[in-house]
Amino acid sequence: MSDAVRSTAATPGVLPSAVRIFDLSLGQMLWSRRSVFLGVLLGGPVLMAIALRIVDTLHASGFKVNGAAIGGSAIFGMMVWLLFIRFIVPVLGVFYGTSLIADEVDDKTITYLFTRPIPRRSVLLGKYLAYLACTVLLVLPSVMLVFFLLVPIGGGRIGEAFPSLLTDLGMLAVGLASYGAVFALVGTMLKRPLVVGLVFAFGWEPAVLLFPGYLKRLTVAYYMQALVTHEMPQDSAVSVLLQVFHEVPSVTTSLLCLAGIIVLTLWLAGRAVERREYVLEQ
Amino acid sequence: MTTKTRYFVIVSLLVLSVGMGTGLVAYYVGFPAGAQGRRGGPDELGYVPRDASVIAFANVHDIMTSELRQKLRRALPMQENGQQELQNQTGINIETDIDTVVACLSPDAASPNIPGAGMVIARGRFDEVKIESLMREHGAHVEDHNGKRVVVADTKDVADVVHGQPGSFAVSFIEPGLAAIGSTKLIKSAIDLHKAGNNPQAGLESVTGNDELMSLVRSLDNGSANAWAVGRFDALRTQSHLPANVLSQIPAITWFAVSGHVNGGFSGTLRAEARDDESANNLRDVVRGFLALAKLGSGAKPELQAMMQSLEVSGSGKTVSLSFSVPAEVFDVIGAVVNKGKPAAH
Repeated sequence: MSDAVRSTAATPGVLPSAVRIFDLSLGQMLWSRRSVFLGVLLGGPVLMAIALRIVDTLHASGFKVNGAAIGGSAIFGMMVWLLFIRFIVPVLGVFYGTSLIADEVDDKTITYLFTRPIPRRSVLLGKYLAYLACTVLLVLPSVMLVFFLLVPIGGGRIGEAFPSLLTDLGMLAVGLASYGAVFALVGTMLKRPLVVGLVFAFGWEPAVLLFPGYLKRLTVAYYMQALVTHEMPQDSAVSVLLQVFHEVPSVTTSLLCLAGIIVLTLWLAGRAVERREYVLEQ
Repeated sequence: MTTKTRYFVIVSLLVLSVGMGTGLVAYYVGFPAGAQGRRGGPDELGYVPRDASVIAFANVHDIMTSELRQKLRRALPMQENGQQELQNQTGINIETDIDTVVACLSPDAASPNIPGAGMVIARGRFDEVKIESLMREHGAHVEDHNGKRVVVADTKDVADVVHGQPGSFAVSFIEPGLAAIGSTKLIKSAIDLHKAGNNPQAGLESVTGNDELMSLVRSLDNGSANAWAVGRFDALRTQSHLPANVLSQIPAITWFAVSGHVNGGFSGTLRAEARDDESANNLRDVVRGFLALAKLGSGAKPELQAMMQSLEVSGSGKTVSLSFSVPAEVFDVIGAVVNKGKPAAH
């Protein structure tokens, strides 16, 4: 048996290698400086929910908008829309997704991973899985706490609202997976991925959604809309415009498209990692 | 994976599992009323069935001890034989024994009564033995329902005779100091709700699960009103059995809400929700027209001016609102008018 054949036989597959990288990266991701930012980002809604609950307990008349009483489910739906879907999920995707490979390049540690006898794309896949586990394990409990704090406000019923919570949790997990995959591709292909990612998440996506036409299909938010069970809040002129051009694909189409986005972007990112020559600046 | 990371994963999964478990239990079993924090309105609403078309509340103690009530008693000395008779027969003194009352009407196809079956839940101090023995003297019998004694009396009032069906009236003391009086079916449902709490999956749910009605209740039950009523106007209209040409003349109102505060005077708000914006606009115009006419007519009576000036129509969209305030002086005028016709006491 030649050396080349023996070397190929000894190389572990993509998945076992990805699991090893996942194990290594999860701890690194959780206890990094970025986690402080993540904690603040996810602690905010919980603190806000606690404050609302205290205010509700102290004021017997409950919350009112234009004289009409507003229930806890509506407040929870509004928070899921405005804070989680439109802000936290894209932000986490940008900050974590773009840094999967870029951080290793910046820290000049990518060489250590690439010199291991494992496929290069398994590095990306393992880190992506670690990102997914890290964000899902932080975002979902945060949403769960917000749900139990807010829904009983104004006589809301946990049992009735529970199915929508399950949908929300599933949708947030899919959102994190989709944004993470898209920004992982951006991180592997571009030199300044963070800037490009922020422009995509907070410039391109909201802008394109405002206009009629096909361009909105080149966003993740377009497919996410179909999975949202809560009514879009009429909080601004932008929301009113979004309602006017409210063109939402079916849930099946959205799920298929989001799955396609995840698979395609991860495959492209893996391909880029395999082929790209990373030059470490001295 | 380091120990720290492992702990984090465990804690995170634990939060998710506890949340999921609690949610699943709430979904399949339901929580007893009151376990989920404030829901608005008095606690007695937990015993009113979900499909109630009208619910009303009155703080009887507040109203009975109000200045207005005292003024009315002086201005319009009424015969209080009925009140005395009720006290003799049941031991209930309305003035001092009843604190609050919650009443409801529930559509019931089997009921001969036009608005459906009714129930009053009174909180106060009751002589349970005296009430039960009195009812038994009048032919009532005692049933046991879900561990509670229900005193059932078969009635034959005018409506029953017309419809050829005997009515059924019951009284039960759901808890110490809480009496439910009314249709037997509603009393039994109140006992079930008291025993098991809300359980929509089992088909047992109180009006607290009716979000539309409860949001109206919450908007009224803000501590400033000591009496209020809310209801589905369309349900009442459907059950009224009026001729089609009469029904078509009634404004297209879906919900109504009335709240009032009784103390020195009487102030309140009457709110109606029309079927659409156009109906609401029409209703606002009609009410404004009547108000203009009434203000014109009251020009010669300065004592009514303050009341007429307080009448105000407002609302936007489908809501039409009429607020009013009747000062105590108006009741003095009414008392004087009524007493004028009576011979002077010697």
